[in-house]
Amino acid sequence: MAQESTDGGVARFSFEGQPIDYAVLDAFIDWCRSATSDPEVRALGIETQSEGDAGDDMGNWPPRLSHRHPQGSHGPGPLLEQEAIKALRGCMKPTIAILDGDTLGLAFDFACTCDIRIASESARLGDPRIHQGRAAATGIAYLLPKLIGQSQAMRLLLLGEVVGAAEAARMQLVHKTWPEADFCEEAGAFVQQMAAMPTRAWEVHKLQVLPQLDLPFDAAMVHSLGVRQTHVIEDRLEGMKAWRERRDPEFTGR
Amino acid sequence: MSDPGAFVVEDEATAHGLIRHLVLNRPDKLNALDLDQHVRIKAAVESATDDDDVRVVCLSGRGRAFCAGDDLTARSSPEPDPLEGRRVDLDLGSGPTFLLESAGVLRHCPLPTAILLHGHALGSGYDYSLSCDFRLATEDVNYGDPRIHRALWAAEGWSYKLPRLVHQSAVSPIAYLGETMDGATAHACGLVHAVYPAGSDLRAAAKPFLSQLAALSDAAYRETKALILAGVDQDFGSALATARAAVA
Repeated sequence: MAQESTDGGVARFSFEGQPIDYAVLDAFIDWCRSATSDPEVRALGIETQSEGDAGDDMGNWPPRLSHRHPQGSHGPGPLLEQEAIKALRGCMKPTIAILDGDTLGLAFDFACTCDIRIASESARLGDPRIHQGRAAATGIAYLLPKLIGQSQAMRLLLLGEVVGAAEAARMQLVHKTWPEADFCEEAGAFVQQMAAMPTRAWEVHKLQVLPQLDLPFDAAMVHSLGVRQTHVIEDRLEGMKAWRERRDPEFTGR
Repeated sequence: MSDPGAFVVEDEATAHGLIRHLVLNRPDKLNALDLDQHVRIKAAVESATDDDDVRVVCLSGRGRAFCAGDDLTARSSPEPDPLEGRRVDLDLGSGPTFLLESAGVLRHCPLPTAILLHGHALGSGYDYSLSCDFRLATEDVNYGDPRIHRALWAAEGWSYKLPRLVHQSAVSPIAYLGETMDGATAHACGLVHAVYPAGSDLRAAAKPFLSQLAALSDAAYRETKALILAGVDQDFGSALATARAAVA
């Protein structure tokens, strides 16, 4: 079962190296929505190590969704997986995937939905579902080509290649790596750094980038103006004050 | 108002027409941009677009840096405000929208556009670079958008342009972490097209590349650029139809 914790403005969720089943997905959705709305939470860290996608062993369908069971000729549909991915993508706070060990299949989808991916040098990641004769319906076919380009996305999704952290960093899929021995400490410090950033400004950046991936140019410009006119950020005053006083700013995330 | 000499327009002749150099010339301010400079850039790009002798538009900066970003020390101009009645400042949240317009004019300029990045190339200077067709840099350039470290942000369209110029994964460190890049880093993610040794006279070093742009077929360049800019917003069928109409 998954682990949740909150410390110093960082909410963390761990798949704990276990298969992701419906119960874990339900817990993840609750955690993600709660962290998104909690003003004390400045950043979300997700430890994505898992046994990949449990596939045909997702456990019992959650009773709360019994009236929406999308049973078809291919088994249950990806309703809950998509809900979990959407909850994560809809969070405008910094989201950081922490990769240690194997991040495969559905766990890989979660990692690719985060803003930043950091990894231990021994981590492996990829999507071998095609080798199980399965097509992921979690949005990864949309997300991955935008993240690393169509050419490399084809390689990972169609060949089902699992790559190491160094190759993932070369593809720019992973942003930072550390030796395995240092990883826990370095990753913890990194996520804390993210939480100390002006996270409302981060939100405004993200609020522009993600919707504008799907907007034409003119609509995107209008969208940017709308965002700028409707978001008031207190940290901006601190940023300017610190600049004038030649000191490091102290942001509150408001 | 900043000194009119803070912005210089120079034409350089090639065998195939003029390279129009738009030069930021406030070296004592590391070419930090105030509103007057944005107004001058927009007017100069429009003028170059209308000039049949101009084949390439090239932005650069004189002195130790291309552009250190926004001039945060700029004071209100005693001159009539060209944006009177159009400001959207909410005290805590926003500034003028002019950069969105001037960067948009640069992006839609049908001529080849290039930008020479050396020293610092930050903030608004970085914003303009995303509107150009080609970015050329020295290997020791300090390039990017650290405004997030002051809880500042721009709304001139970088959020649309950057994920289309590089992959979304490369957007995160630039836009969310505010990390700046040297020439090799910017080249590795595909944002910069050519890197020159530290300390190069970038204008001299880039001359062969800019001359090559000037030698290209004007009509073919305009049509291809228009198809690319339209194509990034279109589905495949619509892109084919647009291309068919363009060559009909």
